[in-house]
Amino acid sequence: MAEPWNRVGRQTKFYGNTLRSIYHAVTTYRIELIRQIAAMGLGAGALIVIGGTVAIVGFLTVTTGALVAVQGYTDFSEIGVEALTGFASAFFNVRLIAPATTAVALSATIGAGATAQLGAMRINEEIDALEVMGVRSVAYLASTRVLAGLLVVIPLYCVGVLASFWAAKFGTTVLYGQSIGVYDHYFRTFLNPTDLLWSFLQCIVLAVVIMLVHTYYGYTARGGPAGVGEAVGRAVRASLILAAFVLVMMSLAVHGQSGNFNLAG
Amino acid sequence: MVASNIIAKPVRGFGGFYAMALDTFVAIFKPPFAWREFISQSWFVARVSIVPTLMLTIPYTVLLTFTFNILLTEFGAADFSGTGAALGTVRQIGPIVTVLVVAGAGATAMCADLGARTIREELDALRVMGVNPIQALVVPRVLAATLVSLALAATVILVGLAGAYLFCVYIQHVSPGAFAAGLTLIIGAADVTIALAKAALFGLSAGMIACYKGISVGGGPAGVGNAVNETVVFTFMALFAINVVATAVAVKVTM
Repeated sequence: MAEPWNRVGRQTKFYGNTLRSIYHAVTTYRIELIRQIAAMGLGAGALIVIGGTVAIVGFLTVTTGALVAVQGYTDFSEIGVEALTGFASAFFNVRLIAPATTAVALSATIGAGATAQLGAMRINEEIDALEVMGVRSVAYLASTRVLAGLLVVIPLYCVGVLASFWAAKFGTTVLYGQSIGVYDHYFRTFLNPTDLLWSFLQCIVLAVVIMLVHTYYGYTARGGPAGVGEAVGRAVRASLILAAFVLVMMSLAVHGQSGNFNLAG
Repeated sequence: MVASNIIAKPVRGFGGFYAMALDTFVAIFKPPFAWREFISQSWFVARVSIVPTLMLTIPYTVLLTFTFNILLTEFGAADFSGTGAALGTVRQIGPIVTVLVVAGAGATAMCADLGARTIREELDALRVMGVNPIQALVVPRVLAATLVSLALAATVILVGLAGAYLFCVYIQHVSPGAFAAGLTLIIGAADVTIALAKAALFGLSAGMIACYKGISVGGGPAGVGNAVNETVVFTFMALFAINVVATAVAVKVTM
């Protein structure tokens, strides 16, 4: 009866511990922090071959940004407003598609990677060895990853947003043959810099939430190699759900009152 | 030499995947069919996916409907929020949430299970005993993933529409009759069928990628963790790519 609540309590305690240890991560374990930033940006292992996290974020946002072109252009052309596809890109990509897709990509690449690494370390008893050596394991392992995720998400989200804009533009102007001038006019008119900044803030918060969840599940993995895989699965599920809720709450908080959108003037 | 090794590894991986996919397709039609494993895996994937499905559909549908309604209210067309919700849910949110859940929940579980068995040399033991691991383990999992994806997509669409209704009517004060009437304005049976077909494709690919990564794992527990990580990444990439292509095809078909 109380076990799920106890679990939530334990998780929250771990998150508080991780956030508090960021101070130690910055002062004592700076080299590990920088190593994490490098590993997260360009990936590790097999992911390097396909270009690392940057390429994956870019690819995923291209595929979802292209949906604006494919779906948006055809739906708009049914009522004769296909010129507004540029507007659809500026509106939907910034508010919905780029943050959601980047969060999903983050969870899959650096999040799952963190859980896999920490989980393997846990069941090999490397974390216990670190504690014995006097290294603050939460600061060294979890806080560095959370902070690295926060720092890495900023350029990654830039790549994501640009990729989604490019994909929508390419789809509309090259594949569907709309004139670039028309597309650009409506795109530039409706691209709101404030919206873009808010979506950056959303992505940063999402990155912190995702990394916290993933490091928790990796740090507390148990049950041998199958347990590591199970931890990754649970972490991906939990972080995707949390990311979706955080995104909705932040969007409602930022845009809920008035929508921050003016079609005419 | 180094450059060719860097190219060789992913190409070899792709080739191995293709080989396993062919083996799986052939083994689907060969008796005996592993019914027990199929049913237990279907139940396992469903059990693991149902809660994440519900919890993921509602925020994404609410977000999409909310964003759409901002636009529609500017036109004074808030009554068409039902149309917007149906468009978004059936055409995109349904397949995408199915991707996330099938890849994030189902595929990782399958890969972890098969990976743990591989590094314990259980698959080799099966081969020694004359049991084809592809026929006994991979085929039921792939088919289970396909079946459950189909069911998941239907659930996502239903839950999404219900969530959008509650959000629009009770929070944005759209008239309920207008919402319900607008649902079928643009979306019809063809769109729903295409969404279900997309979901089946997703399940098939996710199952195949997960099983391939599971049976080709190596390097101990860290290897299993890496294999699960790569499963998630490759499944997301493959499924999102399939989504764009399927959307383009669907748009042509329902034109």
